[in-house]
Amino acid sequence: MNVHQFHPQVAFGDAASNQVLILQKLLRSLGHVSEVFCEQQPFVFEGKTHPLADYERYTSPDNVLLLHYTIHYSESVMSWLRRIPDRKVLIYHNITPHHFFAGVNAPLAEAAQRGRRQLGLLREICDAGWGVSAFNSRELEEHGWSNLGVMPIVFDPERYDVRPSRSVMGAYGDERTNVLFVGRMAPNKRIEDLIVCYSYLKRHVRPDARLLLVGAHGGMGRYVAFLERLVEELDLEDVIMPGHVSHAELMAYYRCADCYLSMSEHEGFGVPFLEAMHFGVPIVAYEAAAVPETLGDSGLLVREKAYPAIAELIGLLIEDKDLRGRITCGQSTRLRDFLPARAKERLRTLLSDVEAR
Amino acid sequence: MSEQWLEIRDTSVDAEVVRRRVRERVSLRHHESSWAAQIDPGPEDVVDSLREGMFDSAAKEPVAVEQQDCDIIPRDYTIDWRVPILGPIHALIRRVINAEVRRYLMPALERQSYLNREFLHTLNDLREENDRLRRRIEELQGDHQESPGP
Repeated sequence: MNVHQFHPQVAFGDAASNQVLILQKLLRSLGHVSEVFCEQQPFVFEGKTHPLADYERYTSPDNVLLLHYTIHYSESVMSWLRRIPDRKVLIYHNITPHHFFAGVNAPLAEAAQRGRRQLGLLREICDAGWGVSAFNSRELEEHGWSNLGVMPIVFDPERYDVRPSRSVMGAYGDERTNVLFVGRMAPNKRIEDLIVCYSYLKRHVRPDARLLLVGAHGGMGRYVAFLERLVEELDLEDVIMPGHVSHAELMAYYRCADCYLSMSEHEGFGVPFLEAMHFGVPIVAYEAAAVPETLGDSGLLVREKAYPAIAELIGLLIEDKDLRGRITCGQSTRLRDFLPARAKERLRTLLSDVEAR
Repeated sequence: MSEQWLEIRDTSVDAEVVRRRVRERVSLRHHESSWAAQIDPGPEDVVDSLREGMFDSAAKEPVAVEQQDCDIIPRDYTIDWRVPILGPIHALIRRVINAEVRRYLMPALERQSYLNREFLHTLNDLREENDRLRRRIEELQGDHQESPGP
């Protein structure tokens, strides 16, 4: 059986694109012929992916085509999907609810709305839907989908076997306390809550602390301006917002981190949690959306945004090496669930279900 | 803060002990008073006031009409039918019909799409203006209430 994949735009450093490439490796190791097709293809992926027009040569009712869905598909993709006879499985990475972008980025709010509406149309085109978390699958179910499965993000440790950036290590790899968050500077991530939490930490618990907010700013100008203004109003020092960083720089930020803090209110999965687990950084996260599911039995989940208490919890984690060791050990155990060996078995089972239908 | 504000599922860690230690630290540091009371305004209040000023309250409403909905042109549509025996003649006729239909239809659809987009822009401008005026009325009402009577 040929199992191909489609993702509208394969981009470097994007979680869904990384998943596409890892799944391709797994599919090939399971003996399937597997190619990746996309509408927009940056030059770095030339040779690894094919333009969508090439799919005419591959299409067949015997194929399974995995469709990665992160925001919405263009009308031409929708009509192409209706036309081809392949069996189709939607891999749902989730769409941030549009209301988070209201007043910040109107086109993105529109796109998110459109994407959610499109889920209803895709239900009629696809044979099955796999969420990257059970949270995402439940959302598909709410949109009337059946034949659901869960195919979590696969964590490939080889990708992280990269020398960390010297300049970042030099700047932040000292004895001071580094609290890290990784993710796009977007309103659903509630970066302002991280800043409030940090203000308590810095003023009362760990005056040596730094807040490292690592993630792209693209399209979020108004929100980033709001965050910068907040930092200024609170008169906070050492809030570092480097924007989009290279892979080597990202590795360095994780290596410098003493604690990973998330106050996000919407995550369809949360790849940075797996990265923090990999680098042995204890996680403190707000319990929302797919976050508890990704952490499993590991990490520290806060159910209320009690900022002074969260700041004290971070202080305790940094001071109590035994507690820190237990938490990171639990996280390492959890990470094993996302390694390629387990994912391969899960993928095999899900594909045999599709084939049996 | 409720008793269950922190969840630790890791069985190697005693969640109750961690919660108790955090509670003790909070109490010790603040002599059993809340932090927010010591800082005026508290960081949470600063967030709220900044958010109000920066993100328009009207913009929090869901987007009712999308830019894409203004475009009513079926851009991918072509008249198509499959009669393989006709071969090149069939292809030629199809091309001519498509071109003719487009010649009549497209300018009208383009004009309507343009009007739709203009209408949406105007609607959005009016909504913003309406919101600005509403805020101004609220300000004036506030001033009126605060000012001493005659």
